[in-house]
Amino acid sequence: MKVLIIIPAYNEALNIEKTVKDVITNTNYDYLVINDCSKDNTKEICEKNNFNVISLPINYGLTSGIQLGMKYAYNNDYDVVIQFDGDGQHEAKYLKDLVESIEKGTNIAIGSRFVTKKKPFSFRMLGSSLITAAIKITTGKTIKDPTSGMRAYDKKAIKEFIINASLTPEPDTLVYMLKKKMKIEEIQVEMKDREFGESYLNPIKSMEYMVNMFLSIIFIRAITRSKNIK
Amino acid sequence: MTITLRIILVILSVISFILCVKKIKESKLKVINSVTWMIGSFLFVFMSIFSSAVEYISSKLGFMAPVNFVFLVIIAFLLVQNFIDNIRISTLSEKIKDLNHYIALEDYKKNNTSNDN
Repeated sequence: MKVLIIIPAYNEALNIEKTVKDVITNTNYDYLVINDCSKDNTKEICEKNNFNVISLPINYGLTSGIQLGMKYAYNNDYDVVIQFDGDGQHEAKYLKDLVESIEKGTNIAIGSRFVTKKKPFSFRMLGSSLITAAIKITTGKTIKDPTSGMRAYDKKAIKEFIINASLTPEPDTLVYMLKKKMKIEEIQVEMKDREFGESYLNPIKSMEYMVNMFLSIIFIRAITRSKNIK
Repeated sequence: MTITLRIILVILSVISFILCVKKIKESKLKVINSVTWMIGSFLFVFMSIFSSAVEYISSKLGFMAPVNFVFLVIIAFLLVQNFIDNIRISTLSEKIKDLNHYIALEDYKKNNTSNDN
């Protein structure tokens, strides 16, 4: 199986080198760093280390970065795409478990923090639980860690990203995929806390994110048809 | 409708119409985008000329005063205009995103072939 790991990076100069080295040493899959027009020297660090990097001329957000990765994977005929954060929170040693799950026939494998472990109680996890509930109501399936940024997609799911430009690397896409009758499996992984740099989620952005997710899940993705209309 | 309101409507319509034509001549506005504005200004001129018709419709629809009906029409017109603009912005944003991706992929190809040689 041809596997591509896409690592979206925006202002991750402090983390990117470590993240990519982790990927290189712990896996033998192809990877692609997507530098979303970082203002710091992320690009220079990648070029200095001879990383496989693609640089966008305009900053356009995470969704655009992932979509570009999907296009690249589609054009180069990859079987599996793994979305992997460039901020050092994910560990590359778990990626082979995700690929194994895809090999067994799942369409999307999620690197989940809460398959065997309990969800801790915090404001952020409350948001995560609410999204889990929304997914349960609209699709009947339980996804314990919907906000996880570590996901593997198979060819069928990649194709969906190419067809539908409104798909984001967020939980509402999982509802869309479930409505398309895709199989989603969660794999237990560990995630570290962010070492350097700042998360883009401040309280206002978090609220915005939750409102967006709810509207999208309940009013848009929940009425997805299982077959594409031609 | 009071005579003041009718005069204001006509003046504003004429100004917006002239502005539209001027901007098209300066090629700062596309003809297709100006159509709604032109239709709007004609509509408001008609409303001020045939004010008795406006009064008839507004009383039939149960408005307390014809001016309320006029405002409602203007608000509806602006909302539609706003919605059309939103769609345009989204379309443009998608196009820019595609261009952004295209440039990035071309750059990537160029860099990689030059490295190989």
